[in-house]
Amino acid sequence: MQSIISSYNYWIYILLMMIGLYAMLAKNNLVKKVIGMSIFQTAIIVFYVSTGAKEHATIPIIAHGHGAVEAAVDVAHYANPLPHVLMLTAIVVSVGTLGVALAICLGIHRRYNSLEEDEIQEQL
Amino acid sequence: MIWQLDLSILTLIVICAFATIMVKDLLSAAIIFGAYSFLMCLLWTEMGAVDVAFTEASVGAGVSTVLFFAAVHQTTRRVRTRKSGRMLAKVFALMAALLTGLVLIIAETDFPGFASPFTPASLHLSPYYITQSLHDTNVPNIVTSVLADYRGFDTMFETAVIFTAGLAVIAILRRYKRDDRCDLPEPYVISEGYPDTIIRFIARQLAPFIQLFALYVVAHGHHSPGGGFQGGVILGASFILLAISYDSRMIIGIMSERLNILLGNIGVLIYAGIGFLCLLLGANFLDYSVLSKVLPATDKIMARSHGMLGIEIGVAIAVMAIVISIYLNIISHGKYDKG
Repeated sequence: MQSIISSYNYWIYILLMMIGLYAMLAKNNLVKKVIGMSIFQTAIIVFYVSTGAKEHATIPIIAHGHGAVEAAVDVAHYANPLPHVLMLTAIVVSVGTLGVALAICLGIHRRYNSLEEDEIQEQL
Repeated sequence: MIWQLDLSILTLIVICAFATIMVKDLLSAAIIFGAYSFLMCLLWTEMGAVDVAFTEASVGAGVSTVLFFAAVHQTTRRVRTRKSGRMLAKVFALMAALLTGLVLIIAETDFPGFASPFTPASLHLSPYYITQSLHDTNVPNIVTSVLADYRGFDTMFETAVIFTAGLAVIAILRRYKRDDRCDLPEPYVISEGYPDTIIRFIARQLAPFIQLFALYVVAHGHHSPGGGFQGGVILGASFILLAISYDSRMIIGIMSERLNILLGNIGVLIYAGIGFLCLLLGANFLDYSVLSKVLPATDKIMARSHGMLGIEIGVAIAVMAIVISIYLNIISHGKYDKG
């Protein structure tokens, strides 16, 4: 029981990643493939963020932090900020990749008048 | 960390992920994907990652959904129901996904328990950040201080990546001539597009407040969740709101393409410029403490805080310009007129 509680989160992240991977490989529609890519990205991001979570810890903003410097800050009271920083920028970059992917989809649609993979392959 | 809450959010997330893959209508898929993003930021808030949740709420749930709408609007809404065949491809894809999942679940047995305070990730570098951030930089929000100061070089190139993405979208879609070689299909009509007075009035009244809030998010990122990325996206979203409720032409009147690219450049240059200023004053690249020589009435610690504010402003300007630029290119199919 204890081992299930400590790791069911990871199993669900893996499940999300599998959904994203399946959509990228099997879906015929290009926009669906892009959605699959986004799900894949969020699955990886949520895994990284989860490594920073700590039991009984609060958000990584030091309480009453302005003005006088507190004597000591207890590390166990604050969640690990490093994964948060890395994944924050990754999310912003993911909107950039999403924009480029959708732009490519629009370009393909402009030329072949279809977003379905097999129809495009017939025209190639 | 309440595991019951955790589990229910995760269940909803998995349901949303399935639904957005399975649904036949691309517009519905985009909306369900927005719900998926909101549930995701709920999960992150629950893990204590408030800055990440804020970014996801503005970027993932807000701007991504709008970009999907714009793309669907320009192409087609229906996913064609497929004839038989391709069954083999589906089986192979399913097997590949299952195999990957199996390998990862086997690897998972070596992981430290979820939310344990003694994971390797939480033991080596991050205790320094947590204990020293306030002492070094006078910034209570540790995420901001790591983002803009300790790992400032990293963030500078992330901003450059956003800028490059904006340029790539322009390079792919933008067409300067009115009739480029192939004729466009008519964009898919979602609604009749008559001018709705109520929506226009509310959007017009709301926009200044959204922009004010965005400035607050940028300026107050030192003490609360927020910062340049989130503020920039919210600023861009206020313009996109006007572009949706009115017409893209109105926004192009305010934020022309030239101005957008210029602002994107300026944002990245502010960031790099502050770095070079530190270099000129005789310190390392992006070592803000040396800025106390030029900023009046600051010691070295406050100078680091002010330097972070400077680069956050640069990030906000760049992100705002690029988000608007990507939206306008996708909605107008690179022609920059209607929408």
